[in-house]
Amino acid sequence: MKKIKNLRKNLAFNVIGAIVIMLMLFSIIVSIIGYMSFTNSFKKEYDETTYHMTNTATASVDPTRIDYYLKTNGRSSDFKRTQRYLDSYCLKMNVSLVYVIKVDTSDYGRFTSVFNSVGADTPYKPWKIGHQQDTTNEEYARIYKDMYENGLTRGTVYRFTDLKGAPPHITSLVPIKAHDKVTAIMCIQRPMKEIREVRYKFLAEIVTAAVIMGVFVSFLASDFIRKQLINPIRCIASEATRFANENKRGRLPEQFARISEISDLANSIYKMETDTLRYIDDITEITAEKQRIGTELSVASTIQENSIPNDFPAFPDRTDFDIYASMTPAKEVGGDFYNYLLIDDDHLAFFIGDASGKGVPAALFMMVTNIIVSNRVQAGDTPAQVLTEANKRICEHNKADMFVTLWLGILEISTGKVTFANAGHDDAAVYRKDKGRFEFFATKHCLVVGAMPGTKYKDFDIQLNKGDKIFLYTDGVTEATNADNKMFTLDRTLKELNNIKDASPEGIIEGIKKSVDLFAGDAPQFDDVTMLCVELKETQQPNLKTLKVDATEENIGAVNDFLGAFLEEHDCPMKTKMQIELAIEEAYINVAKYAYGDGAGEAEVNLSFAENELTIVLKDSGTPYNPLEKADPDITLSAEERPIGGLGVFLVKKTMNSVSYVYENGQNILTMKKVIE
Amino acid sequence: MQISVNKENGKLTIGVNGRMDTVSAPELEEAIKNNAEGAEELVLDLSEMTYTSSAGLRVLLVAHKMMSQKGGMKVTGVTESVMEVLEITGFADILDIE
Repeated sequence: MKKIKNLRKNLAFNVIGAIVIMLMLFSIIVSIIGYMSFTNSFKKEYDETTYHMTNTATASVDPTRIDYYLKTNGRSSDFKRTQRYLDSYCLKMNVSLVYVIKVDTSDYGRFTSVFNSVGADTPYKPWKIGHQQDTTNEEYARIYKDMYENGLTRGTVYRFTDLKGAPPHITSLVPIKAHDKVTAIMCIQRPMKEIREVRYKFLAEIVTAAVIMGVFVSFLASDFIRKQLINPIRCIASEATRFANENKRGRLPEQFARISEISDLANSIYKMETDTLRYIDDITEITAEKQRIGTELSVASTIQENSIPNDFPAFPDRTDFDIYASMTPAKEVGGDFYNYLLIDDDHLAFFIGDASGKGVPAALFMMVTNIIVSNRVQAGDTPAQVLTEANKRICEHNKADMFVTLWLGILEISTGKVTFANAGHDDAAVYRKDKGRFEFFATKHCLVVGAMPGTKYKDFDIQLNKGDKIFLYTDGVTEATNADNKMFTLDRTLKELNNIKDASPEGIIEGIKKSVDLFAGDAPQFDDVTMLCVELKETQQPNLKTLKVDATEENIGAVNDFLGAFLEEHDCPMKTKMQIELAIEEAYINVAKYAYGDGAGEAEVNLSFAENELTIVLKDSGTPYNPLEKADPDITLSAEERPIGGLGVFLVKKTMNSVSYVYENGQNILTMKKVIE
Repeated sequence: MQISVNKENGKLTIGVNGRMDTVSAPELEEAIKNNAEGAEELVLDLSEMTYTSSAGLRVLLVAHKMMSQKGGMKVTGVTESVMEVLEITGFADILDIE
């Protein structure tokens, strides 16, 4: 079955099969047309000849004596003579019947035979004169009528099928007239045997000729098609398949095919093979190159990442200020940067900048600028002096005509005074604790760095109070675009800042980052997004650390880590450390379990260290409860008598040097102190 | 915290490695309850236990009460700081410590 299915798709089979079928159809149609045309002509000719025979015969009958013959019953001599003539005529003409009849003109339903001669091989018996017969059928009757009444001069009746033992025949009728009046009708019936024979002979000849010609032409045609069309196409098809599988050049023979289109096809295939192989080589090379570049960019990205400080908290042992920053490049490497450094104990320099362009060129330019500015800052220059010098140096080597915007500030920590200079950068947003919100601090912008040698820069001052913050950013924030091509804008930036104004610098920057991401949605990041935030903190007890967590049992780990980190700095012996751990765990777990019932809430752990004494303060805003009210368990009871539980607070009391409790401002405050030797 | 379990001739030995606090104590309690069937004697090897809070003490008391109806419970390898806790709470007098 499969073989036959495949055969149906085969080119040779289809083409040659089509030719054969069409030739056959053609032969059949031609044969049919020829046959029909031949038959018609033959019939017409037959008809004519029979008519002429009949017409000739009428001349031998005296039209005026018909009635006389009938009356005398054919005894007269001229009747007999005419009859004898008709008999011999019938035999000579080789027809079946020659007869003369007189039709009953009332309804043409009957006739009387006058003369009647029968042919040699017929089954008829000749009618005697006067024999009456019914008209054979309607056809005859109509002809009789037309002859007698309408002047019809000839008629023909065909009988194709055998009837009453008589083979197919044609009957020709001609009226016998006396003075233009019909007295009798001469009829000659001629067998169609001949026509049948001749027809069949013709059909046989024509079909044979058609078949022979058809077969012959089929062979010729299929041979030609096979050689000039099918074989070349097959050859091309197999060559294409081979190439697709092997991807190696092939060779098609010269003078491949006579038909030019096939030749062209072969040549095109060959050319495509060559081209394809070349493209494959090119692409392989390009891909390898691309991979190499990708790797290098990845390394460059790491180098850049490490060139700006991103270790936070930046100055963990400074409680008088806090600083946080982040840079997210649009590509692997970016042109934005920030940097900060403590020039000395009382001076913090921080700056943010945006090199023109993006990608590798901007990144290289940015790193150069970063280094120059950091150097000058450490040398003790004021911001304006730093920028002037940086500008001079950068312009010297700036063949690529790039430039960089820069905002550089130096904070005198003890006084809160910030001296800064702005080289074409966006204005800072400043949070004032007494005003309770962020506002832009607008000053004159000097020219960007790197544009013109000799540019002069100006110092500005701003006085920060405790709790105030400065927020710096690049235009990647304000110009972040979403799918509708709308920008984040300065207004929205300020609005978002004021939504999270109480957060720490880290909280503010992460918050703005989230807002920008949410705003941009699926739109690709166009520009580097960079932010820096500095806070001048309110004075706290020296070395006070705070941890706020959700009061759940799982967070005991975070509490322990917090304690561990703190104790690391204070050289605490192992045994004491374990006692403190125990006390904190017991106190904290109690809060986690009971302070908020089924609800959730926060717990705050404050650690501070002064004069060899560690103070732990545990705060929660849950149900007011003084754990110290609880009576100590009786530890003298035996195992059976000991109730399970109630040991936590007891352990706290026993391991800590002092424990106190107070309920204040809606908070349970438990204070534990331990001396650390 | 890692728990090791060893059952031999009706003596169940459970070793505690690490810190036993509120989060990990239930693991020890599970281990004891699951393996107590057919154990006549329970030995808790605390030589690798660096720390315990009151949650751990609770498990010890529960286990002690459970095993006191059978062959009893022993605690071995107690570290110094853990010992201190046991003494403060009076557990040192209740438990069989070796």
